Amino acid sequence: MGTPATARAASTASTARAAATFEPDGLVLRPRDVRFDWSRLPTPWIPGEPVASHIINVLHLLLPEGERWFVRVFQRALPMITDDRVREDVLGFIGQEAIHAQAHQGALDHLRAGGPDPDPYLRQLEWFFHRVLGERPGLPPGRAREQVVEQVAIIAAVEHFTAFLGDWVLSADALDRAGADPVMLDLLRWHGAEEIEHRSVAYDLLRHLDPGYPRRIRSMMITGPILYWLWIRGARFLMAADPRLAGSRPGGPRRVESGRAFLAASRRGLLPAPGQAVRSGLRYLRRDYHPTQEGSARQAAAYLATSPAARAAAAR
Amino acid sequence: MSGPGHHPAAAGRHVPPDLYGRPRADRAMRALAAVGDVLFPLVVRSGGRPGSRRHRSTPPPAPASALNLVVAGRGYVADDVVRLRLAAPDGAVLPAWRPGAHLELRLPSGRRRRYSLCGDPADRGVYQIAVRRVDGGGGGSVEVHDALPTGSRLAVGRPRNAFPFAGEPRVLFVAGGIGITPILPMAREAARLGLDWRLVYSGRGRASLPFTDELRGFGGRVEILSGGERGAPDAAGLLRRAPAGAAVYACGPPPMLDGIQAAFDASPASGLHVERFAPVPPPWDGRPFELRLARSGRVLPVPADRSVLDVLAEAVPTVAYSCRRGFCGICRQRVLAGAVDHRDHRLTDTERADGAMLVCVSRARAGESLVLDL
Repeated sequence: MGTPATARAASTASTARAAATFEPDGLVLRPRDVRFDWSRLPTPWIPGEPVASHIINVLHLLLPEGERWFVRVFQRALPMITDDRVREDVLGFIGQEAIHAQAHQGALDHLRAGGPDPDPYLRQLEWFFHRVLGERPGLPPGRAREQVVEQVAIIAAVEHFTAFLGDWVLSADALDRAGADPVMLDLLRWHGAEEIEHRSVAYDLLRHLDPGYPRRIRSMMITGPILYWLWIRGARFLMAADPRLAGSRPGGPRRVESGRAFLAASRRGLLPAPGQAVRSGLRYLRRDYHPTQEGSARQAAAYLATSPAARAAAAR
Repeated sequence: MSGPGHHPAAAGRHVPPDLYGRPRADRAMRALAAVGDVLFPLVVRSGGRPGSRRHRSTPPPAPASALNLVVAGRGYVADDVVRLRLAAPDGAVLPAWRPGAHLELRLPSGRRRRYSLCGDPADRGVYQIAVRRVDGGGGGSVEVHDALPTGSRLAVGRPRNAFPFAGEPRVLFVAGGIGITPILPMAREAARLGLDWRLVYSGRGRASLPFTDELRGFGGRVEILSGGERGAPDAAGLLRRAPAGAAVYACGPPPMLDGIQAAFDASPASGLHVERFAPVPPPWDGRPFELRLARSGRVLPVPADRSVLDVLAEAVPTVAYSCRRGFCGICRQRVLAGAVDHRDHRLTDTERADGAMLVCVSRARAGESLVLDL
């Protein structure tokens, strides 16, 4: 009673309790009318770090196509929603995703002008999202519904990783220390913060349409590996096309070399650690999982209040 | 973006070429498609067989999105400001909320109004709101004042938060008049967490400012400016009170918030959170016109003060939209006939020429009616 140790324990417990109740909840989701000026973007945009820059640049290739697919799927899911709150969240979500796609498209258009031709990779993605993951016409209504629910399950799994990445980029001080371009950092962190803001929407929609556990597990087992594979493939493609890199060659860089370069950049804090990403994916498989356990809505709100793009959008 | 005509040739049956230009279809893509073609029928199969329950998606019963509450108490906290205490009729615990959250009241007239929660989040049995009476406004506040005596029942949406408090280490709260309501729980939380915070609260006169007694209890951190005769305090002056690098939380009349946004870059603060109570502006220079839905044959009048989207969303509840301000592009529809007065800043000239229209802001040109492919 009253010893320093118990006092400290009590105060730690109360701090933990305060922090636990502190996270804002039930956020209203609104798209923000952000604009980015790429005219002064250097290459690579992390000075002296072409590999890390390429690996993050894959997002500009992957996301516009992927997020436009999210929007198409959620628009088809809208008539299936019977809860006003889920519908409200989905409407906010699709607007945010549409703006994400548009913002990354802007960065992509700029990279295309100054760098390697990304079209072979983009053509494959476009084909992938339409032919492999897209709507299959002519299904009877029951199966058409199952298809949408399955697509929502895939999106919920992807959104788990976008929240993981958002949380990472909001805290990645190494990018600031490395002198990364401030406009690109603002794009990544604004996007990351909105991913944290809406991290629960796809998952809650999935639970609304199918509360079952098997579909959640199945879709993560398929989605996680494919997402990583697509990213690595995109990174190797960009590196192969960069003549300044020692590993560049027509068939793509050697796996060992590009893998080593990735791990080195990740150790310097310029990329997420692969072990953390895998552990994060495994958390999704827990029965008591909920996306609100990933990242901090508080940190996201604090960033959005300082983001030059988000502040300019709020004043429009 | 997601409209018709987006499916390019690349999305067709043919596997795209090799990533590195080798003269063949890409092997990895071919493999992905093959795997997809095997898994896909397995995944959707259960939905096609009536009576099959294994793996099939079963929608849960719709949860109650609204709460049925009773006015448990009310009283004036300033001239023209009434505070309502809302509780569950059986005294049950209410859904949790965090500072900055609001409630949507569904008033007896059918009006829906949002009010910030101004009580203590730790008090799980009661929601408190404070409402200033605005005569000659939209009528919602007058209804709250005159038509909700103690004991009335009303439906209330679950708490939502459009103004979350992030608890930055240094904070300046700026409240104008009734804009104090979301700020009050934040100030209590800042005090509880031991943050470096200040609050400046302005209004026309002391008698019109609610909660001044409680605020004075915080001592020197709170400054109350009630010199109404000098007019609204200037925004740059308010922001000068911010500690260097602070986050500013502002809520109050639109001219005050506009001023703060304009003066912000020159201030010592680095973050700005703003709560605005009127998020969607009504159409400007609106004229009434007629909207036809080609597939259903329905004819819907669009009044001068409503958007095409407002009218459409009532008639077709599954219609998609998001920003309601003409920039996200989600509410895009195809126009089959009629000249459009385009007011968005998203669509390209080509898309407009193809008949695309963003129904949240765009309207018919004078004297025209519109036919949508719906």
